[in-house]
Parts: sequence; structure tokens; C-alpha cells
Amino acid sequence: MKRHTAVRLLGVGALATTAALTLAACGQGFDDGGGSDASDDLTSSDDALTVMIGSSGEAETAAVEEAIAAWSAESGVDAEVLAATNLSQELAQGFAAGSPPDLFYLSTDQLAGFVDNGSVRAYGDLLDNKDDFYPSLVSNFTVDGEFVCAPKDFSTLALVINTTLWEAAGLTDADIPTTWDELASVAQTLTTDGRVGLAFGAEYQRLGAFMAQAGGRLVSADGTEAVADSPENVEALTYVKDHLADGTFAFAADIGAGWGGEAFGKELAAMVVEGNWITGGLAADFPDVEYTVAQLPEGPAGPGTMQFTNCWGMASDSPNQEAVLDLVEYLTSTDQQLAFSEAFGPMPSIESAAADWEAANPELAAFLAGSDYAIGMPTNIGITEVITDFNAQLESLATGDPQQMLESVQTNLEAVVGG
Amino acid sequence: MTATVHTPRRAGSRGGLRRGEGVAGWLFTLPIIVILGLFLFVPVLMALWVSFSDWSGRGSPLSSNVSFVGLQNYAAITTDGGLPERNFGLALRNNAWYVLLVVPLQTALSLFLAVLVSRAALRGRGFFRTAFYFPSVTSSVAITVLWLFLFSTTGVVNEVLSWIGLNGPNWFNEPRGILHLALAGLGVDAAPQSLASGSFLGVTWWDWLAGPSVAMTALILMAVFTTSGTFMLLFIAALQNIGGELSEAAMMDGANGWQRFWRITLPQLRPTLFTVITLGLIGCWQVFDQIYTGTQGAPGKTTMTPAYLSYTSAFTDQQWGIGAAISFILFLIIIVFTIFQRWVLRERAVSRRRRRPYEQAIAAAASRRAAS
Amino acid sequence: MTSTTALTDEAVQAGPPVTLPPRRRRLPPARIVGQVLLYALLIVIAIIYIFPFLVQVSTSFKTDAEATSDAVSLIPSTVTFAAYERLFTRSDFPLWFANSAVVTVLVTLGRVFFVSLAGYALARLRFRGRTVIFAMVVAVMAVPTVVLLIPKFLVLNQLGMYDSYAGMIIPLLVDAAGVFIMKNFFESIPPSVEEQARIDGAGAFRIFWSIVLPMARPALVTIVILSFQGSWNELSHFIVSTQSPELTTLTKGVAGLASGQLSQGNQYPLKLAAAAIMTIPVAVLFFIFQKRIMNTSEGAVKG
Repeated sequence: MKRHTAVRLLGVGALATTAALTLAACGQGFDDGGGSDASDDLTSSDDALTVMIGSSGEAETAAVEEAIAAWSAESGVDAEVLAATNLSQELAQGFAAGSPPDLFYLSTDQLAGFVDNGSVRAYGDLLDNKDDFYPSLVSNFTVDGEFVCAPKDFSTLALVINTTLWEAAGLTDADIPTTWDELASVAQTLTTDGRVGLAFGAEYQRLGAFMAQAGGRLVSADGTEAVADSPENVEALTYVKDHLADGTFAFAADIGAGWGGEAFGKELAAMVVEGNWITGGLAADFPDVEYTVAQLPEGPAGPGTMQFTNCWGMASDSPNQEAVLDLVEYLTSTDQQLAFSEAFGPMPSIESAAADWEAANPELAAFLAGSDYAIGMPTNIGITEVITDFNAQLESLATGDPQQMLESVQTNLEAVVGG
Repeated sequence: MTATVHTPRRAGSRGGLRRGEGVAGWLFTLPIIVILGLFLFVPVLMALWVSFSDWSGRGSPLSSNVSFVGLQNYAAITTDGGLPERNFGLALRNNAWYVLLVVPLQTALSLFLAVLVSRAALRGRGFFRTAFYFPSVTSSVAITVLWLFLFSTTGVVNEVLSWIGLNGPNWFNEPRGILHLALAGLGVDAAPQSLASGSFLGVTWWDWLAGPSVAMTALILMAVFTTSGTFMLLFIAALQNIGGELSEAAMMDGANGWQRFWRITLPQLRPTLFTVITLGLIGCWQVFDQIYTGTQGAPGKTTMTPAYLSYTSAFTDQQWGIGAAISFILFLIIIVFTIFQRWVLRERAVSRRRRRPYEQAIAAAASRRAAS
Repeated sequence: MTSTTALTDEAVQAGPPVTLPPRRRRLPPARIVGQVLLYALLIVIAIIYIFPFLVQVSTSFKTDAEATSDAVSLIPSTVTFAAYERLFTRSDFPLWFANSAVVTVLVTLGRVFFVSLAGYALARLRFRGRTVIFAMVVAVMAVPTVVLLIPKFLVLNQLGMYDSYAGMIIPLLVDAAGVFIMKNFFESIPPSVEEQARIDGAGAFRIFWSIVLPMARPALVTIVILSFQGSWNELSHFIVSTQSPELTTLTKGVAGLASGQLSQGNQYPLKLAAAAIMTIPVAVLFFIFQKRIMNTSEGAVKG
């Protein structure tokens, strides 16, 4: 019997090894992408393009689809727009499977990782309009001296105020807050039963504005040093915490809204800290709410806000990269960017369009003004996880200890920043 | 098994009625061998390789660029002291509390329902069984969507609670643990020094003892709601098999309902109990669908579970080695728990002390019979 | 335990217990109270179990605003079909439903066939390696599904089956528990009929197909129920095996709906309508085969 069992086990083992080796041999599903291209040649074929976007809502999806359809008609290349439910996951899965979308939204925090494993093709220097982009945006998307992808637009955070509630509380234009104290008192005036004065999301992507106003940031401007546990940051978080505690500020989730825009639209909050995209959301879901946009108040260290931008990423595995380049040039042209801006809010990423944009949107000038002093999100590899963890901790800011939170963020950052 | 000749024949034997049976046997089982082997057996081997390698997510994991890195990925989540370790610790903590609460609750509730529904004189038994079993039929996605609605800030649960004067919490957005909340109610607001200093897997002992968060509690209730029906059926079948003889005998001996249940019915349910608890443990340690659909680990990473962490590490953060490592550690945990649980519930010989009265009674009866 | 021994002896000597015709007699008051309490308890629990589904259906006919403001009421103040209209005309829901249907039907058919084949072979046919294969089946049942998330993705890629119907269906075609069930069932059938057919010269497949399989109807129904439910409600496999929107199934699609997009509002009626419709097929199956499901002690195991 023992011999039988041994033979059987050998048989099973042989089967398994053969199967594994066969799999290794027929690895047809995978593309053995051997690093980024040495040559500057872009691929070209007749294949249709897939464009994956992380849409903020129907307005954005519709606008992108329209633009791409127009380009398709003009260029003769078919293109399909996919709105992802979870962009980073779908991108990662697509890269691993060797069948990613040809063009996609790429955020600053994911950029470094995808460049590192060769998933993304750098094409910035091949663009016709590469000198037209704002330098700060270009630097956001430059890795190891290479301009990787074209910024598609950018937004800043500003203070969005519900004018009806503002006037009903007896406030005027002169009361628009320019310091932290004024913000606190105005929020207090506007806080009533069932409505808070100021709301925002419980994330670094909003609270970072307060930190900037106090003079602090997470990672130094050149990206080499973690500076999360500075006293300035503690001051900023303490300020927010105090007002969360006294009920004049609130996190959107805590007052029953999915994000700041929804809290604003449902008048659960009289003011919100949000970015350009709020205009599209409000127009679509809450068209009756009247609002005005003001620059965020200055903190102890002066003005501060945050800037967000995404770029159009090109996949290394795309079979038709030339068409993609052409499409990107189309999508970043002045006319197209202004059209996007009108549809869902963000500001054009090219300097030549700035004047046109301001003329078309005088009421949103505060967003553009913020770009002078805005800080962007850190771009180091692995930063996403640290920020996700920070956001998780921020959700309990009202009862937590800012010093401790920032210290833990500092520890995590040190593992990620500076080698 | 067959009624014919019992002489052991070698399979695939020469001639006779059973000729060709060997071939038929292999042909019949070929589909399952291929599919189970290809999609269950080989994948596990491949994932094992990925967990010991540095594959970054592009190209084949079996290509020559990918190298063996030993236990690096496992170390990253258990001893390295960074964010992966802390995430793993949090995920384990969340899932441990989930298991701790769901398994006893669902076992007790399903047993309770089974006993109620198995009562001798009960009209509408079918209706009640159907009502209790129906949630188990639905998909976890559908139930999670429903639960998100029921437990929203202005949802059904909070409204019902307000009828009895309680102010329901902001269920799915509340990251504080229920133990911490209870302790805060008793005045213990901050961590005592001893618990705040030490830590395991990057999570302080105080945080380990936080209990499931309020959001996790909503998910726990959902798990009990959806699985109690299935296990109730198992218990009903077992109760029917037991029959009432011993119970009746005990009743004649003067045992009340509770004693009858505890000392007579329950021990006989041991095999079913074992099955239910094992299935419960295995299921609970793999919570994924509900997290993916409902909370995605929020609020404050208190609904993150190892299964979901394995998925996000690999598919979102592109840390495939770490994702695979997490899933294998989870595999080990499940095995350990199952074995431990088997050991705890094993049939044990009755201790000598407890046996004595019975032995004496039997001896007395035997001597009486011998004497008469 | 002498009284137990006595009872058993007497019971054996007295023969089977005589069943008295049920007499209407006044129960003692304590028993009535007990019965009333029992029913009350059962009814309360049943309400707790049923109410969520009633609310789900009624909310799907409410407006978004009412769903948020007045969640408990079972009767909407204004009945509106907006959620359903949105679901069927402005989302991919019909596509998801079709995909789920296709996959479920094919998987169920496939499973019934392959699993009964294998179960029969393991139960009745003598061939070398039978015990090894059975051991493999049992071993596979022990592997938790979570371990397979990443690996299945890797294997599907290697085989070039990623993002295709084949990749969605083939891995689900075999279910170790099903093999177990069919094997047990076949072992419980008396072998005389097969022997007769074998003597008459029928080959193994013929015996299986024409003689044994028709006898296996009860077990096959169990397999059908389990595979239908299992594949209709499957989520993680579809997440890792597909990425294009054309292949999205109901579970994946509704899960995506639930996680929602920014600036879309709560949209509870829409999500609940989707969840409700998604539940209908399994509910129908459940009600049809209720007796069968309730009486089998296997039951359907949910994780």
C-alpha cells in the first residue's frame, strides 16, 4: 500500500508541475513589458481607443463623451469613453492584465507608481502645446526630469457661500471672512438648528487648505522631506477640531451628505470648502441654490489653499499611441478646455486660456486667484496609502488628538519620502 | 459496494463486465480534474509564488524579470513596522471582533429559531420557516444595499429607535468602537498607560480592545440576519433526527424545560453545532462582498478586513506580493481556528468524578438483578 | 439512569406507542399563555425579518427626497416610477441582467452535467486514482475563496481568458461541494438496476445517462438550486475575471451603483429598485422549491 500511495503522490506532483510549467509557457495573456521604450516611436494602428475617466457625475461624463465623439468624427478613429466606478482599481487591474485603456485620468499620487513599473508612457515632450501649460502643473507631472503627461485641467479650493442664507442672516459682502477668526464668527452666525455654518469632507484634500494657511504642509515643496508633525499643522487641525466640537463646522458625512457639494445643495451647510467641480454638481442636482465664491480666509501664515490636477495618461501597452497623442492635443486645446470648464467646472491647464476663462466666469475668479498660492498634493510613490490612512484618522478629528495623528502620519511619510 | 464478486480487482481490469470502466472513470472525472486543478489548485501555487516574489503588476509573474524575495512580503505585514503592518493589524482586529460576535450570535439565534419553529403544536410553521430563511437566499450585494439604506442617518433603524426615545448613531459613519464607547460612558475616556504603550502589529493594545466600530456592528447585525436562516434549517433537521424519547424520559424525572434543553437536547446536537460553528468561522473570516459593496473599509478603516485588504493591496495599490501574503496568512488563520474549534468541541470522556454515581447505580441494579 | 433503562424496556415490551385521536380539550391556562407568548415572539421576529424587504419595495416607488426624509413608511405619499425608469432606460441594468442570466444558466447546466458525471464515477466506477481524485475534491473544499481572488486573476490572464465570457463561466463550472452531494446520492442508490444494464451490455456512459441520472432527480434539483443561487449571487469572481463594462453582471453592477459617484446624491430608490429586481429570480426559485430546500439538511451555505 505504501508504494501505491507514494506512486500516487508522485503522479499528482508530476501533474501539478506539468500544469504549472505549461502555464508559464503559454503566458499569452500577459505582455512582457520590458520597461519603458528606449525609442521615441509611438505605436500606431487602426485600433479603436478606450478612454477611461473617473467622472464626478453625469455632467462630466457627457462632456467628455461629446468631446471625444467630435474628435472621432474629425480624425476617423473610433473612441469609447468608460466611466470608472473605482478608477485606481480598474487601472491597476487593466495594467496587470495587459489590457489597459489607451487614455485615462491619471492623478498625481498614482503617477510615480505607474511610471515606475512601466505602465505609463511619457509623452509630454512630444506635445505641440507643451510650453503652454502652467509650470506648476508641469512640475507636478514630471518624474525624474521627464514630463510624463499633459495636465488636463486644474482646480483649487475656495469658500462657497449660499447667498440666500448669507443675506437672511444679515451678512453683507463686507463680512466675507478674510481671517480665521472672521470665519469662525461668520460660521457661528450661520449655524442654526439643522444647519451648520461650514462643512467640508473629512480628508486631507480639504483640511490641507487650513494647514497651508497656518504655514504647514505634509511633504516639503521639493518632495524630499516629510514635515507632517510641524506645530503649524497642529495649530491648523486644532482650529478645525475646536469648531467641529462647538458645532459651527462639520464633516459632510456627519451631517448626512456624501460630499461637501451635496451638503451645500441640500442646505445642510451654509458654506463649504470645495473645488471648481462643485459648479457642475450644483447645476445638475441643485440648480436653485444661489451661491458666490470667495477666496479662503488667510490663516496665521497668510493665504493658503490646495490645488488638484489630473493628467491624461497614455498606456505603454496601447497599440495606437499616435492617435492618443492627437486626441490629447485636441482635448487640451483652448476651445475644448473652455467647453469642459463650462460643463463641469475646472480651470484650463494652459495659460493662454486663462484670460478667456476669467472673462467667461467672473464669478469664479476666486478659484483662479487661489492658484497663485496653492499647494499641490504630494507625488511620492506610495503616498496614496499614507493619505488614505491620514484621512481615516481625520474622520475622528472631533474627538482625537491632532498631535498624535500628525505624528503617525509623519512616521508613515518618512517610510515613503526620501528614499 | 456492488453486490457482485468481492475479489479485489485491479482497476481497468482485463475483460469481463468491467472492461472500459477505468477509461470511463477517468473520462467522467476529467472535467472536474481539469477545472478544479486549473482554477483552484494551480492558482494557489501561483499566488504562493507571487507572495514570495517581487512581481510589480505588469507582465507575467512567471517571467524571468520577477525574482524570489523570500519572506519579505510576509515580513512587511507582520514585523516591519510600517503602514502595511498597521493596516494588516487593523484588518485582523476588525475581523476578529466580527467573528467573535457573529459566530455565537448566529449560532444562538439560529438554534433559538429552530427550537421555536420545531415546537410540536405550531400552526403556520411553514410560514415562519420561510420568513426566517428568506434573507439567506438573497445576494450579499442586494442585502448590503438594503442595509446601507436602513442604517443611514435618517433611515428606518434610527427612526424606530427614536420611537423609544433613543438617538441612533450615525451608523455607517461612526468609527468609534463600541467597547470604547461603553467605557467612555463609564468615564474611562483615554487609554490607560499600560494599554497605550504596547502594541501588536502596529495597533496599540488599547485599540485592539476598542471592539467593533458602530459601522462594523451594523455589518455584524447584517451577517446574523442573513445567515441565521440557513443554520436554522440545519438545526431543525438535527432536532427532528433527535426525537423526543430522552426528553420525555427526563421530563418524567422532573427536569424542567431549561434543564432538558441544556443537558439532553444540546449535547445531542453536538455534531450539528460543530458544523454550524465551523461553517460560521470559515465564512466570517472571509468577509469581502459586503465590504466591497458597502463601506470599502471606511469609516476610519474600521470595516477593513484581511480579505478586502488583500484585494485592495493587490488590485488598487499594486502591491501584489503583499496581497497574496495576506491571503495566505488568512488561510492559516482559518485552518488554525477550525482545528482549535474541533479540539474544543471534541467528544471528551466523562470524568471519573461525574461517572461515579452512574457506575454505582448500575452496579446496584446489576447486583439486584443478580440477587433476584 | 435506571428510570431510562426501565422506560426503554417497557417501551420495547409494550410495542409501538398508541396514538390517541386528537381530542379537543381545554389546555391549562399556563399552556395557553405559553402558546400565546410563543406566537407573539415568532410574529415579532418574523416582522423583523420581513419588514426590511417590504420597506425596500415601497422605497423603490418613492421620490429621492421622501426616501431620505420619511424612511419608515410603507406607503409612499407620491408613487413614482422614476427609479425604475432611470434603471431601465438610463443605466446598463438590462445588460447586467442579461449577463447574469446567461452566465447563471450556462453555469447551472454545466455544473449539473459535470458534477453528476464526476459524482457517479467516484461512487460507482472502479478506476485507478479514484481515491486521489476524491481526496483532491475534499481538499479543494477546504480552500477558502478569499485565497483565490488574486490567483484566479493571474491564471485567467495566463490562459488568455481574462475579460471574456469563457473566463466568467468556466471556472464556475465545477463545484466541489456538488461533487460531494452527487457522490453521496449515487452511493445510496441500490446497484441492482445498474448491474442488470451492465449485464445487458450497456457501456458506462449509457448506464449513467439513461438509467442512473433519471433516478437522481432529487439530488439534481438540489444541485440546480445551489448552482443557480451560487452563480446568480456571485461577486468576487466577476470582479477579478472581467473589466469591460459589457461583461458586467448584476452583482458587480449593483455593487458599483452602491458605491456611487460623487455629486449624485443618495439615490436610494434607484439602488433599492436595483437590489429588489436582482433578488426576484432567486426569490422565485426559492418559493417554487421551498419544500425541497427546507427539507434537505444540506441547505445553501452563505459565507
